[in-house]
Amino acid sequence: MFVVKNLLRRRVRTALSVMGVAIGIAAIVAFSAIGDGFQASLSTYFSESQAQLAIFSGNVADMAMSRVTREQKERVLAVPGVLEVSEGTFYVAASAGLRATGSLPALLLFGRAPGTRLMRKYDNGELRGRLLMKEDEILLGFLAAENLGKEPGDTLDFLERTFTVAGVYKTGATWENGGAVVHNAVIQKHLAMGDAFSLGFVYLKDLRQTERVQNDILNAVPGLSVTKATEVPDYFSDQLQYIDWFVWIVSLVAVIIGGLGVLNTMLMNVSERVREIGTLRAVGWSRPMVLWLIFSEGFLISVIGGVLGLAWGVAGAEILVHFAPKGFIHTVYTAEIFGKAAVVAAVLGVVGSLYPAFRASRLSPIEALKYE
Amino acid sequence: MIRTEQLVKTYENGAIKALQGVDVAIAKGEFACIMGPSGSGKSTFLNMIGALDRPTSGRVWLNGHDLTNVPDLDRIRAREVGFVFQLHNLIPTLTAAENVEIPMFAVGRARAERQKRAAELLELVGLTHRANSIAVKLSGGERQRVSIARALANRPGVILADEPTGDLDSATGREIMKTLEQMRRESGATLIVVTHDLEVGERAGRWFRMRDGRMTEDAR
Repeated sequence: MFVVKNLLRRRVRTALSVMGVAIGIAAIVAFSAIGDGFQASLSTYFSESQAQLAIFSGNVADMAMSRVTREQKERVLAVPGVLEVSEGTFYVAASAGLRATGSLPALLLFGRAPGTRLMRKYDNGELRGRLLMKEDEILLGFLAAENLGKEPGDTLDFLERTFTVAGVYKTGATWENGGAVVHNAVIQKHLAMGDAFSLGFVYLKDLRQTERVQNDILNAVPGLSVTKATEVPDYFSDQLQYIDWFVWIVSLVAVIIGGLGVLNTMLMNVSERVREIGTLRAVGWSRPMVLWLIFSEGFLISVIGGVLGLAWGVAGAEILVHFAPKGFIHTVYTAEIFGKAAVVAAVLGVVGSLYPAFRASRLSPIEALKYE
Repeated sequence: MIRTEQLVKTYENGAIKALQGVDVAIAKGEFACIMGPSGSGKSTFLNMIGALDRPTSGRVWLNGHDLTNVPDLDRIRAREVGFVFQLHNLIPTLTAAENVEIPMFAVGRARAERQKRAAELLELVGLTHRANSIAVKLSGGERQRVSIARALANRPGVILADEPTGDLDSATGREIMKTLEQMRRESGATLIVVTHDLEVGERAGRWFRMRDGRMTEDAR
């Protein structure tokens, strides 16, 4: 009864406090959903390759800097149990040609060799057209094709080349669908990599031998990192860590701004209601009852702000997905995200309400009743 | 029954002596009036017998409770005392009925019970038609009648009124005093009124005068 009416007494102030909390929570939800979306796409990308192991240069901070040489590949192939090593290269192409074609600022390119297992994964029943065979052909992810307005048979000018769209694929990794597949040689030439590649997808004859083959490769090819394909996303942990840090910094800023907003509102509420609090105490309300009343008001601001923030966060992230080039941003909403947002909202409520509530509860009824 | 024994209240390490050994006994159901100039200690005395404050020395008994030793004065105030303030002190955003319900929260009454009791009390003070009006929309007299209804919410043994007519015109003040007396008669509670108003004093069955923290007159 009192809690809601007291908050409605100063509607604008309450609304601003609610918005302060909501914006913080919305930022947490939106950034977390986008970060989780990126991680989910990365995991799907490697699991869909169906490779058992992945090889790349040891001691590189960024996978894009990895250079696995032809000689290293041959030595891996010589390890008993290895069936195939599919070469993979990567490049983010940003060129006027792309912008002119479909207002696309950049295109994530995956270099593949024709005829390899890694290339064949795109022929998954969703492929329109055919797999690429030559250097002047390109496979577009279906989102990239939509962004660029291209269909199989169309041509696309960028990287100082004219590509013919051989096919349009669809995989489970959103940012792969927003990218394109080209012949490895295209990226190797563009980046002057020679015949080296960034990441090798290793297929084994017998899956039960994975551990043994992994160790054999490590022993046979010094300087090469070998890991299970499903564990490759862990090598991006530094980059992913930045996302986590970013979300936590946003959370911290939200706690500070939202908490100060709630704190300010509740302190003003208390200072305006000293006589009223004195009356409550005079008619028998105990200190804990007054504390609970004021605390509940602040906490309710955070709860409403939290619920509103969740809705705004989801809406904001989806608006971002809608307006960003297709495939660039992908969102995943997990219980953990909503749990984290709820915890932050609760912390805001506690941080912002406890001190004003404590102050109110410590008011002497006599002094409070005399208050002008 | 209210009794005080050598009641002393000082402030600022004894520099200010608000009460200097007050001995009073007021029987259950009595209507007593306390008069005296400003600063004579009337309100301090009311705070002591109303369990709002503890004495520096001496003792206070309220309906059998020794307030000097009771650890939880809140509980005593909630169950034994009803306050009527000069400025009514209603919560402006709540309705008349909700204001009457406030003391009942302190004793843990259920919602239905609170609402029933508030309706009964508003009927007693003649404000049934204003039950759902928010406090700020009530006239001064109506607010004070709501305040009386609130004071009676938990059926207290003592009603303490500090200048209940001080903020009202004389006609409304007379109405308020009539209401207070009627409530006292019907509830059997002790009524103690602090006032400057001689007309109010004349209505009381007992009459105290205070000066410099002492009871200087006790007349019936």
